[in-house]
Amino acid sequence: MLPSDHAAVVERVVEHPLPYFSLLLDAPPGWAELAAGQFVMVRAGDGLAPFLRRAFSVHDASSSPAGARIELLIKAVGPGTRALAGARPGDRLSVLGPLGHGFSLPAEGPVALVAGGIGSAPLYLLGRRLVERGVRFDLFYGGRGRADLPCLERFAALARRSGGRLVATTEDGSAGERGLVTGPFERSLAAGEFRFFYACGPMGLLARLAALSAAHGVAGEAALETAMGCGFGACLGCAVPRPDGRFALCCQDGPVFPFSEVAW
Amino acid sequence: MNAPAVDLAVALGPLRLANPILTASGTFGYGLEFAHLADLAALGGIVSKGLSVAPIRGNPPPRVCETRGGMLNSIGLQNIGIERFLAEVLPGLERFPPRVIVNLFGVSVDEYVRLAERVDAVSGVAALELNVSCPNVHSGGLEFGQDPEVLCALVRAVRAATGKPIVVKLSPNVTRPAEIGEAAKVGGADILSAINTLLGMAIDPVTRRPRLATVKGGLSGPAIKPVALRVVFDVARQVGLPVIGIGGIETVDDVLEFLLAGASAVQVGTALFRDPTTASRLVGELAARLAADGVGSVRELVGAVRLPA
Repeated sequence: MLPSDHAAVVERVVEHPLPYFSLLLDAPPGWAELAAGQFVMVRAGDGLAPFLRRAFSVHDASSSPAGARIELLIKAVGPGTRALAGARPGDRLSVLGPLGHGFSLPAEGPVALVAGGIGSAPLYLLGRRLVERGVRFDLFYGGRGRADLPCLERFAALARRSGGRLVATTEDGSAGERGLVTGPFERSLAAGEFRFFYACGPMGLLARLAALSAAHGVAGEAALETAMGCGFGACLGCAVPRPDGRFALCCQDGPVFPFSEVAW
Repeated sequence: MNAPAVDLAVALGPLRLANPILTASGTFGYGLEFAHLADLAALGGIVSKGLSVAPIRGNPPPRVCETRGGMLNSIGLQNIGIERFLAEVLPGLERFPPRVIVNLFGVSVDEYVRLAERVDAVSGVAALELNVSCPNVHSGGLEFGQDPEVLCALVRAVRAATGKPIVVKLSPNVTRPAEIGEAAKVGGADILSAINTLLGMAIDPVTRRPRLATVKGGLSGPAIKPVALRVVFDVARQVGLPVIGIGGIETVDDVLEFLLAGASAVQVGTALFRDPTTASRLVGELAARLAADGVGSVRELVGAVRLPA
Protein backbone atom coordinates (compact mmCIF):
# COMPACT_ATOMS: atom_id res chain seq x y z
CA MET A 1 0.00 0.00 0.00
CA LEU A 2 1.44 3.37 -1.03
CA PRO A 3 1.54 5.98 1.73
CA SER A 4 -0.86 8.90 1.60
CA ASP A 5 -1.43 12.00 3.69
CA HIS A 6 -4.77 11.50 5.39
CA ALA A 7 -6.74 14.21 7.25
CA ALA A 8 -7.73 11.88 10.05
CA VAL A 9 -10.63 12.63 12.36
CA VAL A 10 -9.87 12.08 16.03
CA GLU A 11 -12.56 9.67 17.19
CA ARG A 12 -11.42 9.29 20.79
CA VAL A 13 -8.58 10.19 23.13
CA VAL A 14 -8.03 7.66 25.93
CA GLU A 15 -5.82 8.49 28.90
CA HIS A 16 -4.13 5.40 30.37
CA PRO A 17 -3.45 7.57 32.56
CA LEU A 18 -1.17 10.37 31.36
CA PRO A 19 1.56 10.70 30.28
CA TYR A 20 0.39 7.64 28.32
CA PHE A 21 -2.61 8.05 26.04
CA SER A 22 -4.19 6.59 22.93
CA LEU A 23 -5.42 8.45 19.89
CA LEU A 24 -8.13 6.64 17.92
CA LEU A 25 -8.23 7.97 14.39
CA ASP A 26 -10.27 7.20 11.32
CA ALA A 27 -8.22 5.91 8.40
CA PRO A 28 -8.63 4.90 4.74
CA PRO A 29 -10.15 1.40 4.26
CA GLY A 30 -6.93 -0.45 3.42
CA TRP A 31 -5.29 0.55 6.68
CA ALA A 32 -7.05 -2.20 8.58
CA GLU A 33 -4.63 -4.62 6.92
CA LEU A 34 -1.38 -2.77 7.56
CA ALA A 35 1.54 -4.73 8.94
CA ALA A 36 2.41 -4.63 12.63
CA GLY A 37 5.47 -2.42 13.02
CA GLN A 38 4.54 0.01 10.26
CA PHE A 39 4.32 3.64 11.35
CA VAL A 40 2.73 6.98 10.57
CA MET A 41 4.03 10.57 10.66
CA VAL A 42 1.59 12.86 12.47
CA ARG A 43 1.59 16.60 12.18
CA ALA A 44 1.21 17.97 15.69
CA GLY A 45 0.86 21.64 14.80
CA ASP A 46 1.25 24.36 12.18
CA GLY A 47 3.51 26.67 14.15
CA LEU A 48 7.24 26.79 14.83
CA ALA A 49 7.28 24.21 17.62
CA PRO A 50 6.72 21.37 17.07
CA PHE A 51 8.02 21.97 13.57
CA LEU A 52 8.45 18.45 12.22
CA ARG A 53 5.96 15.61 12.19
CA ARG A 54 6.21 12.92 14.85
CA ALA A 55 6.63 9.22 14.09
CA PHE A 56 4.34 6.70 15.81
CA SER A 57 4.05 3.01 15.24
CA VAL A 58 0.51 1.77 14.83
CA HIS A 59 -0.74 0.19 18.08
CA ASP A 60 -3.89 -1.30 16.58
CA ALA A 61 -5.75 -1.22 13.28
CA SER A 62 -9.18 -2.55 12.41
CA SER A 63 -11.95 -2.03 9.92
CA SER A 64 -14.81 0.30 10.85
CA PRO A 65 -18.11 1.30 9.25
CA ALA A 66 -16.34 4.33 7.73
CA GLY A 67 -13.33 2.36 6.45
CA ALA A 68 -10.69 1.73 9.08
CA ARG A 69 -9.63 2.88 12.50
CA ILE A 70 -6.10 3.06 13.86
CA GLU A 71 -4.94 3.50 17.43
CA LEU A 72 -1.68 5.19 18.36
CA LEU A 73 -0.29 4.58 21.86
CA ILE A 74 1.74 7.65 22.80
CA LYS A 75 3.78 8.91 25.76
CA ALA A 76 3.53 12.69 26.19
CA VAL A 77 7.14 13.71 26.70
CA GLY A 78 7.86 16.71 24.46
CA PRO A 79 6.12 19.56 22.66
CA GLY A 80 4.80 17.34 19.86
CA THR A 81 3.36 14.56 21.98
CA ARG A 82 2.00 17.00 24.58
CA ALA A 83 0.19 18.89 21.79
CA LEU A 84 -1.32 15.62 20.59
CA ALA A 85 -2.43 14.75 24.12
CA GLY A 86 -4.62 17.85 23.91
CA ALA A 87 -6.47 16.62 20.82
CA ARG A 88 -10.24 16.44 21.12
CA PRO A 89 -12.78 14.20 19.35
CA GLY A 90 -13.64 15.74 15.99
CA ASP A 91 -10.24 17.40 15.54
CA ARG A 92 -8.45 16.62 12.29
CA LEU A 93 -4.82 15.53 12.24
CA SER A 94 -2.62 15.16 9.18
CA VAL A 95 -1.48 11.53 9.26
CA LEU A 96 1.03 10.37 6.65
CA GLY A 97 1.31 6.63 6.21
CA PRO A 98 1.49 3.72 6.32
CA LEU A 99 5.30 3.90 6.29
CA GLY A 100 8.17 1.45 6.59
CA HIS A 101 8.28 -2.32 6.81
CA GLY A 102 6.63 -4.24 9.58
CA PHE A 103 7.48 -7.43 11.46
CA SER A 104 7.71 -10.68 9.54
CA LEU A 105 5.19 -13.24 10.73
CA PRO A 106 6.36 -16.70 11.74
CA ALA A 107 5.05 -19.93 10.25
CA GLU A 108 4.82 -21.42 13.73
CA GLY A 109 5.38 -20.62 17.39
CA PRO A 110 5.84 -20.28 20.15
CA VAL A 111 7.47 -16.86 19.98
CA ALA A 112 8.24 -14.13 22.50
CA LEU A 113 7.45 -10.43 22.47
CA VAL A 114 9.70 -8.16 24.56
CA ALA A 115 8.61 -4.58 25.33
CA GLY A 116 10.37 -1.82 27.22
CA GLY A 117 7.91 0.84 28.37
CA ILE A 118 6.25 2.72 25.50
CA GLY A 119 8.08 0.31 23.19
CA SER A 120 5.04 -1.88 23.70
CA ALA A 121 3.15 0.30 21.20
CA PRO A 122 3.64 -1.76 18.00
CA LEU A 123 3.51 -5.11 19.80
CA TYR A 124 -0.24 -5.02 20.37
CA LEU A 125 -1.00 -5.16 16.65
CA LEU A 126 1.73 -7.78 16.28
CA GLY A 127 0.10 -9.85 19.02
CA ARG A 128 -3.26 -9.60 17.28
CA ARG A 129 -1.71 -10.72 14.00
CA LEU A 130 -0.15 -13.70 15.82
CA VAL A 131 -3.49 -14.63 17.39
CA GLU A 132 -5.10 -14.47 13.93
CA ARG A 133 -2.48 -16.97 12.72
CA GLY A 134 -2.81 -19.22 15.74
CA VAL A 135 0.75 -18.55 16.93
CA ARG A 136 1.26 -18.72 20.70
CA PHE A 137 3.36 -15.98 22.30
CA ASP A 138 4.61 -14.91 25.71
CA LEU A 139 4.91 -11.16 26.27
CA PHE A 140 7.69 -9.84 28.50
CA TYR A 141 6.78 -6.30 29.50
CA GLY A 142 9.20 -4.19 31.54
CA GLY A 143 9.29 -0.63 32.86
CA ARG A 144 10.51 1.51 35.75
CA GLY A 145 7.24 1.11 37.64
CA ARG A 146 3.64 -0.02 37.16
CA ALA A 147 2.75 3.37 35.63
CA ASP A 148 5.21 2.69 32.80
CA LEU A 149 3.38 -0.43 31.64
CA PRO A 150 0.43 1.16 29.78
CA CYS A 151 -2.38 -1.14 28.64
CA LEU A 152 -0.98 -3.95 30.82
CA GLU A 153 -4.31 -5.76 31.26
CA ARG A 154 -5.08 -5.50 27.55
CA PHE A 155 -1.71 -7.04 26.70
CA ALA A 156 -2.22 -9.80 29.28
CA ALA A 157 -5.61 -10.69 27.78
CA LEU A 158 -4.13 -10.80 24.29
CA ALA A 159 -1.26 -13.07 25.37
CA ARG A 160 -3.79 -15.42 27.03
CA ARG A 161 -5.86 -15.50 23.83
CA SER A 162 -2.78 -16.77 21.98
CA GLY A 163 -2.34 -19.49 24.62
CA GLY A 164 0.64 -17.72 26.19
CA ARG A 165 1.21 -15.48 29.20
CA LEU A 166 2.34 -12.01 30.13
CA VAL A 167 5.43 -11.58 32.34
CA ALA A 168 5.72 -8.09 33.82
CA THR A 169 8.85 -6.64 35.40
CA THR A 170 9.45 -3.30 37.11
CA GLU A 171 12.65 -1.80 38.41
CA ASP A 172 10.87 -0.55 41.55
CA GLY A 173 8.96 -3.77 42.14
CA SER A 174 5.53 -2.09 41.88
CA ALA A 175 4.31 -4.77 39.47
CA GLY A 176 5.53 -8.21 38.47
CA GLU A 177 9.09 -9.34 39.07
CA ARG A 178 11.53 -6.72 40.36
CA GLY A 179 14.32 -6.03 37.90
CA LEU A 180 14.87 -5.72 34.18
CA VAL A 181 12.75 -7.40 31.55
CA THR A 182 15.82 -9.21 30.23
CA GLY A 183 15.95 -11.34 33.44
CA PRO A 184 12.88 -13.54 32.99
CA PHE A 185 13.17 -13.37 29.20
CA GLU A 186 16.67 -14.80 29.23
CA ARG A 187 15.62 -17.64 31.57
CA SER A 188 12.88 -18.64 29.14
CA LEU A 189 15.15 -18.20 26.15
CA ALA A 190 17.82 -20.40 27.74
CA ALA A 191 15.15 -23.03 28.43
CA GLY A 192 14.47 -23.21 24.69
CA GLU A 193 10.89 -21.97 24.95
CA PHE A 194 10.89 -19.83 21.78
CA ARG A 195 11.68 -20.25 18.11
CA PHE A 196 11.82 -16.51 17.41
CA PHE A 197 11.28 -13.22 19.22
CA TYR A 198 10.22 -9.62 18.60
CA ALA A 199 11.14 -6.50 20.55
CA CYS A 200 10.66 -2.78 20.82
CA GLY A 201 12.02 -0.39 23.43
CA PRO A 202 15.02 1.77 24.31
CA MET A 203 18.19 1.20 22.27
CA GLY A 204 20.04 -0.08 25.35
CA LEU A 205 17.44 -2.81 25.85
CA LEU A 206 17.49 -3.75 22.16
CA ALA A 207 21.28 -4.00 22.20
CA ARG A 208 21.13 -6.38 25.19
CA LEU A 209 18.49 -8.43 23.41
CA ALA A 210 20.68 -8.59 20.30
CA ALA A 211 23.43 -10.06 22.47
CA LEU A 212 20.98 -12.60 23.93
CA SER A 213 19.79 -13.49 20.43
CA ALA A 214 23.34 -14.26 19.37
CA ALA A 215 24.26 -16.06 22.60
CA HIS A 216 21.26 -18.39 22.54
CA GLY A 217 21.01 -18.82 18.78
CA VAL A 218 17.41 -17.57 18.62
CA ALA A 219 16.80 -15.03 15.88
CA GLY A 220 14.53 -12.06 16.25
CA GLU A 221 13.46 -8.67 15.01
CA ALA A 222 13.43 -5.26 16.66
CA ALA A 223 11.43 -2.13 15.84
CA LEU A 224 13.79 0.83 16.16
CA GLU A 225 13.12 4.42 17.06
CA THR A 226 15.50 7.06 15.71
CA ALA A 227 15.51 10.80 15.18
CA MET A 228 13.56 11.25 11.95
CA GLY A 229 13.05 14.25 9.69
CA CYS A 230 10.49 13.17 7.12
CA GLY A 231 9.60 9.46 7.47
CA PHE A 232 9.61 8.68 3.74
CA GLY A 233 13.22 8.54 2.61
CA ALA A 234 13.80 12.13 1.55
CA CYS A 235 15.95 13.61 4.31
CA LEU A 236 18.25 10.64 5.02
CA GLY A 237 18.23 11.69 8.67
CA CYS A 238 17.30 8.36 10.30
CA ALA A 239 20.52 6.44 9.75
CA VAL A 240 20.91 3.03 11.40
CA PRO A 241 24.45 1.60 11.40
CA ARG A 242 24.72 -1.82 9.77
CA PRO A 243 27.33 -4.48 10.51
CA ASP A 244 29.03 -3.83 7.13
CA GLY A 245 29.72 -0.20 8.07
CA ARG A 246 27.05 1.26 5.85
CA PHE A 247 23.87 2.94 7.02
CA ALA A 248 20.31 1.79 6.59
CA LEU A 249 17.41 4.21 6.79
CA CYS A 250 15.08 3.50 9.71
CA CYS A 251 12.08 4.88 7.80
CA GLN A 252 12.51 2.90 4.58
CA ASP A 253 14.65 -0.15 5.41
CA GLY A 254 13.01 -0.45 8.86
CA PRO A 255 11.75 0.46 11.31
CA VAL A 256 11.83 -3.31 11.89
CA PHE A 257 15.26 -4.90 11.50
CA PRO A 258 16.54 -8.41 12.19
CA PHE A 259 18.86 -8.21 15.23
CA SER A 260 21.69 -9.47 13.03
CA GLU A 261 21.40 -6.55 10.59
CA VAL A 262 22.15 -3.71 13.01
CA ALA A 263 25.54 -2.74 14.43
CA TRP A 264 24.46 -2.42 18.06
CA MET B 1 -15.99 32.58 -15.03
CA ASN B 2 -12.40 31.80 -15.89
CA ALA B 3 -9.65 33.12 -13.68
CA PRO B 4 -7.50 35.72 -15.45
CA ALA B 5 -4.47 34.08 -17.06
CA VAL B 6 -1.33 34.57 -15.03
CA ASP B 7 2.08 34.06 -16.59
CA LEU B 8 4.27 32.09 -14.20
CA ALA B 9 7.08 31.35 -16.67
CA VAL B 10 10.54 32.57 -15.73
CA ALA B 11 13.88 32.64 -17.50
CA LEU B 12 17.03 32.57 -15.42
CA GLY B 13 19.65 33.36 -18.02
CA PRO B 14 19.62 30.31 -20.28
CA LEU B 15 17.38 28.26 -17.93
CA ARG B 16 13.69 28.50 -18.72
CA LEU B 17 11.12 27.21 -16.22
CA ALA B 18 7.35 26.86 -16.52
CA ASN B 19 7.03 28.43 -13.07
CA PRO B 20 9.37 29.68 -10.35
CA ILE B 21 8.78 26.93 -7.75
CA LEU B 22 11.51 24.29 -7.38
CA THR B 23 12.41 21.83 -4.69
CA ALA B 24 15.68 22.24 -2.82
CA SER B 25 18.54 19.78 -2.87
CA GLY B 26 18.57 17.34 0.02
CA THR B 27 14.93 17.90 0.92
CA PHE B 28 13.28 16.09 -1.97
CA GLY B 29 15.32 12.90 -1.97
CA TYR B 30 15.97 12.01 -5.55
CA GLY B 31 12.47 13.20 -6.45
CA LEU B 32 10.67 9.91 -6.87
CA GLU B 33 10.12 9.54 -3.11
CA PHE B 34 7.44 12.19 -3.58
CA ALA B 35 5.81 10.80 -6.72
CA HIS B 36 2.82 9.37 -4.82
CA LEU B 37 2.64 12.13 -2.18
CA ALA B 38 2.69 15.30 -4.26
CA ASP B 39 1.90 16.53 -7.77
CA LEU B 40 5.40 16.43 -9.26
CA ALA B 41 4.09 17.61 -12.61
CA ALA B 42 3.13 21.00 -11.18
CA LEU B 43 6.68 21.95 -10.20
CA GLY B 44 8.92 24.30 -12.14
CA GLY B 45 11.95 22.20 -11.34
CA ILE B 46 13.43 19.52 -9.13
CA VAL B 47 16.92 19.80 -7.68
CA SER B 48 18.47 16.43 -6.91
CA LYS B 49 20.11 15.35 -3.70
CA GLY B 50 23.80 16.31 -3.82
CA LEU B 51 25.67 13.86 -6.05
CA SER B 52 29.34 12.92 -6.03
CA VAL B 53 31.62 10.86 -8.27
CA ALA B 54 31.40 7.84 -5.95
CA PRO B 55 28.65 6.89 -3.47
CA ILE B 56 29.06 8.30 0.06
CA ARG B 57 27.76 6.50 3.15
CA GLY B 58 27.22 9.62 5.25
CA ASN B 59 27.60 10.53 8.91
CA PRO B 60 26.76 8.42 11.97
CA PRO B 61 23.44 9.11 13.76
CA PRO B 62 21.92 11.19 15.17
CA ARG B 63 21.93 13.21 11.94
CA VAL B 64 18.90 15.44 12.46
CA CYS B 65 17.26 17.28 15.29
CA GLU B 66 14.35 19.65 15.47
CA THR B 67 14.95 23.22 16.58
CA ARG B 68 12.51 26.07 17.11
CA GLY B 69 11.17 26.86 13.65
CA GLY B 70 13.44 24.47 11.84
CA MET B 71 15.92 21.66 12.08
CA LEU B 72 19.61 20.88 12.13
CA ASN B 73 21.05 18.26 9.84
CA SER B 74 24.36 16.62 9.41
CA ILE B 75 23.68 13.95 6.81
CA GLY B 76 27.27 13.90 5.62
CA LEU B 77 26.42 14.14 1.90
CA GLN B 78 25.18 10.54 1.77
CA ASN B 79 24.27 9.76 -1.83
CA ILE B 80 24.16 6.97 -4.38
CA GLY B 81 26.74 8.54 -6.72
CA ILE B 82 26.26 10.14 -10.12
CA GLU B 83 26.23 6.88 -12.12
CA ARG B 84 23.41 5.25 -10.19
CA PHE B 85 21.45 8.49 -10.26
CA LEU B 86 21.70 8.74 -14.03
CA ALA B 87 20.93 5.06 -14.57
CA GLU B 88 18.22 4.43 -11.98
CA VAL B 89 16.60 7.73 -10.96
CA LEU B 90 16.76 10.15 -13.87
CA PRO B 91 14.72 7.97 -16.25
CA GLY B 92 11.90 7.98 -13.69
CA LEU B 93 12.05 11.76 -13.28
CA GLU B 94 12.06 12.36 -17.01
CA ARG B 95 8.46 11.16 -17.15
CA PHE B 96 7.48 14.40 -15.39
CA PRO B 97 7.46 17.89 -16.91
CA PRO B 98 9.65 19.72 -14.34
CA ARG B 99 13.22 20.48 -15.32
CA VAL B 100 15.77 18.39 -13.42
CA ILE B 101 18.75 20.23 -11.96
CA VAL B 102 21.53 18.02 -10.63
CA ASN B 103 23.24 19.21 -7.46
CA LEU B 104 26.93 18.28 -7.61
CA PHE B 105 29.82 18.39 -5.16
CA GLY B 106 33.36 17.13 -4.86
CA VAL B 107 36.43 17.41 -2.70
CA SER B 108 38.63 18.68 -5.53
CA VAL B 109 38.24 20.77 -8.68
CA ASP B 110 38.91 17.62 -10.65
CA GLU B 111 35.89 15.85 -9.12
CA TYR B 112 33.55 18.73 -9.98
CA VAL B 113 34.93 18.73 -13.54
CA ARG B 114 34.42 14.99 -13.90
CA LEU B 115 30.80 15.34 -12.73
CA ALA B 116 30.15 18.23 -15.10
CA GLU B 117 31.64 16.32 -18.03
CA ARG B 118 29.53 13.30 -17.12
CA VAL B 119 26.20 15.15 -17.22
CA ASP B 120 27.05 17.53 -20.07
CA ALA B 121 25.56 15.31 -22.76
CA VAL B 122 22.68 13.95 -20.65
CA SER B 123 19.52 15.42 -22.17
CA GLY B 124 17.41 14.98 -19.03
CA VAL B 125 19.65 17.34 -17.05
CA ALA B 126 18.55 20.97 -17.45
CA ALA B 127 21.26 22.58 -15.35
CA LEU B 128 23.97 21.94 -12.77
CA GLU B 129 23.83 23.37 -9.25
CA LEU B 130 27.22 23.37 -7.57
CA ASN B 131 27.26 22.79 -3.82
CA VAL B 132 30.40 24.71 -2.87
CA SER B 133 29.96 24.34 0.88
CA CYS B 134 32.29 21.33 0.87
CA PRO B 135 35.81 21.13 2.22
CA ASN B 136 38.50 21.28 -0.47
CA VAL B 137 41.10 18.62 0.29
CA HIS B 138 43.70 20.64 -1.60
CA SER B 139 43.34 23.75 0.52
CA GLY B 140 43.40 22.32 4.03
CA GLY B 141 39.69 21.59 4.19
CA LEU B 142 38.58 25.19 3.60
CA GLU B 143 35.25 25.20 1.76
CA PHE B 144 35.35 26.17 -1.92
CA GLY B 145 32.64 28.71 -1.28
CA GLN B 146 34.59 30.53 1.44
CA ASP B 147 37.31 32.01 -0.79
CA PRO B 148 36.50 34.12 -3.88
CA GLU B 149 39.65 33.11 -5.77
CA VAL B 150 39.24 29.40 -5.10
CA LEU B 151 35.58 29.55 -6.07
CA CYS B 152 36.26 31.52 -9.24
CA ALA B 153 38.82 28.92 -10.35
CA LEU B 154 36.38 26.09 -9.58
CA VAL B 155 33.54 27.64 -11.58
CA ARG B 156 35.91 28.44 -14.46
CA ALA B 157 36.99 24.80 -14.63
CA VAL B 158 33.38 23.56 -14.55
CA ARG B 159 32.44 26.16 -17.18
CA ALA B 160 35.04 24.68 -19.50
CA ALA B 161 33.55 21.21 -18.97
CA THR B 162 29.90 21.90 -19.77
CA GLY B 163 27.67 24.03 -21.93
CA LYS B 164 24.72 23.54 -19.56
CA PRO B 165 23.59 26.35 -17.27
CA ILE B 166 25.63 26.52 -14.05
CA VAL B 167 24.00 27.47 -10.77
CA VAL B 168 26.33 28.20 -7.83
CA LYS B 169 24.71 27.69 -4.43
CA LEU B 170 26.01 30.29 -1.98
CA SER B 171 26.72 29.69 1.68
CA PRO B 172 25.46 32.21 4.24
CA ASN B 173 28.42 31.35 6.45
CA VAL B 174 30.65 34.09 5.02
CA THR B 175 30.92 37.78 5.81
CA ARG B 176 29.94 39.00 2.31
CA PRO B 177 28.04 36.41 0.23
CA ALA B 178 27.77 38.89 -2.66
CA GLU B 179 31.57 38.91 -2.97
CA ILE B 180 31.49 35.13 -3.41
CA GLY B 181 28.63 35.49 -5.90
CA GLU B 182 30.66 38.01 -7.88
CA ALA B 183 33.56 35.53 -8.02
CA ALA B 184 31.17 32.85 -9.33
CA LYS B 185 29.98 35.27 -12.01
CA VAL B 186 33.55 36.03 -13.09
CA GLY B 187 34.19 32.27 -13.28
CA GLY B 188 31.27 31.84 -15.66
CA ALA B 189 28.24 31.00 -13.50
CA ASP B 190 24.84 31.69 -15.07
CA ILE B 191 22.71 31.70 -11.93
CA LEU B 192 23.21 31.95 -8.16
CA SER B 193 21.12 30.15 -5.57
CA ALA B 194 21.04 31.33 -1.97
CA ILE B 195 21.19 30.21 0.74
CA ASN B 196 22.61 26.90 1.82
CA THR B 197 22.14 26.00 5.51
CA LEU B 198 23.46 28.12 8.36
CA LEU B 199 25.99 26.40 10.56
CA GLY B 200 24.44 25.73 13.97
CA MET B 201 24.31 23.41 16.97
CA ALA B 202 22.01 22.19 19.71
CA ILE B 203 22.70 20.59 23.11
CA ASP B 204 20.52 18.33 25.23
CA PRO B 205 20.64 20.03 28.64
CA VAL B 206 19.77 16.79 30.46
CA THR B 207 22.47 14.57 28.99
CA ARG B 208 24.78 17.56 28.28
CA ARG B 209 25.52 16.01 24.90
CA PRO B 210 25.27 17.69 21.47
CA ARG B 211 22.12 16.60 19.70
CA LEU B 212 24.03 15.77 16.50
CA ALA B 213 26.77 13.16 16.34
CA THR B 214 28.96 15.62 14.43
CA VAL B 215 28.24 18.29 17.10
CA LYS B 216 27.48 20.98 14.50
CA GLY B 217 25.15 20.88 11.51
CA GLY B 218 23.19 22.93 9.01
CA LEU B 219 20.16 24.91 10.17
CA SER B 220 17.18 25.13 7.83
CA GLY B 221 13.49 25.94 8.01
CA PRO B 222 11.45 29.08 8.72
CA ALA B 223 14.00 30.16 11.35
CA ILE B 224 16.52 31.11 8.64
CA LYS B 225 14.18 33.00 6.30
CA PRO B 226 15.15 36.57 7.26
CA VAL B 227 18.84 35.73 6.80
CA ALA B 228 18.13 34.15 3.42
CA LEU B 229 16.08 37.12 2.30
CA ARG B 230 18.87 39.54 3.20
CA VAL B 231 21.44 37.49 1.28
CA VAL B 232 19.18 37.22 -1.79
CA PHE B 233 18.57 40.98 -1.65
CA ASP B 234 22.31 41.78 -1.48
CA VAL B 235 23.37 39.22 -4.10
CA ALA B 236 20.65 40.14 -6.59
CA ARG B 237 21.47 43.84 -6.43
CA GLN B 238 25.25 43.58 -6.30
CA VAL B 239 26.06 40.71 -8.67
CA GLY B 240 23.56 41.05 -11.46
CA LEU B 241 22.99 37.34 -12.12
CA PRO B 242 19.56 35.74 -11.78
CA VAL B 243 19.04 34.41 -8.24
CA ILE B 244 17.09 31.44 -6.91
CA GLY B 245 15.97 32.16 -3.34
CA ILE B 246 16.13 29.38 -0.73
CA GLY B 247 15.52 29.43 3.02
CA GLY B 248 12.45 28.76 5.11
CA ILE B 249 9.88 29.07 2.32
CA GLU B 250 6.54 27.58 3.32
CA THR B 251 3.77 30.00 2.28
CA VAL B 252 2.88 32.06 -0.78
CA ASP B 253 3.79 35.18 1.20
CA ASP B 254 7.28 33.71 1.65
CA VAL B 255 7.53 33.23 -2.13
CA LEU B 256 6.42 36.81 -2.77
CA GLU B 257 9.00 38.14 -0.31
CA PHE B 258 11.83 36.34 -2.09
CA LEU B 259 10.64 37.52 -5.50
CA LEU B 260 10.40 41.11 -4.27
CA ALA B 261 13.89 40.86 -2.76
CA GLY B 262 15.26 39.96 -6.19
CA ALA B 263 14.88 36.22 -6.65
CA SER B 264 13.63 35.06 -10.06
CA ALA B 265 12.65 31.66 -8.66
CA VAL B 266 12.64 29.87 -5.31
CA GLN B 267 13.41 26.45 -3.90
CA VAL B 268 11.21 24.95 -1.21
CA GLY B 269 13.10 22.73 1.22
CA THR B 270 12.54 21.76 4.83
CA ALA B 271 8.81 22.57 4.67
CA LEU B 272 8.44 19.49 2.44
CA PHE B 273 9.19 17.29 5.45
CA ARG B 274 6.10 18.37 7.31
CA ASP B 275 3.97 18.73 4.19
CA PRO B 276 5.26 16.95 1.06
CA THR B 277 2.75 18.88 -1.07
CA THR B 278 4.11 22.31 -0.09
CA ALA B 279 6.00 23.05 -3.31
CA SER B 280 3.39 21.80 -5.78
CA ARG B 281 0.64 23.52 -3.78
CA LEU B 282 2.52 26.84 -3.85
CA VAL B 283 2.45 26.84 -7.67
CA GLY B 284 -1.32 27.03 -7.68
CA GLU B 285 -1.44 29.41 -4.72
CA LEU B 286 1.02 31.76 -6.40
CA ALA B 287 -1.06 31.85 -9.59
CA ALA B 288 -4.22 32.53 -7.58
CA ARG B 289 -2.54 35.26 -5.58
CA LEU B 290 -1.17 37.05 -8.63
CA ALA B 291 -4.57 36.84 -10.31
CA ALA B 292 -6.25 38.27 -7.23
CA ASP B 293 -3.71 41.09 -7.08
CA GLY B 294 -4.00 41.87 -10.79
CA VAL B 295 -0.38 40.94 -11.50
CA GLY B 296 -0.13 39.55 -15.03
CA SER B 297 3.34 38.03 -14.84
CA VAL B 298 5.40 36.76 -11.95
CA ARG B 299 8.37 38.50 -13.57
CA GLU B 300 6.89 41.87 -12.62
CA LEU B 301 7.61 41.14 -8.99
CA VAL B 302 11.28 40.25 -9.26
CA GLY B 303 13.27 42.86 -7.34
CA ALA B 304 10.20 45.07 -6.99
CA VAL B 305 10.66 45.73 -3.28
CA ARG B 306 9.77 49.34 -2.48
CA LEU B 307 12.73 50.72 -0.59
CA PRO B 308 12.64 53.85 1.52
CA ALA B 309 13.65 56.88 -0.45
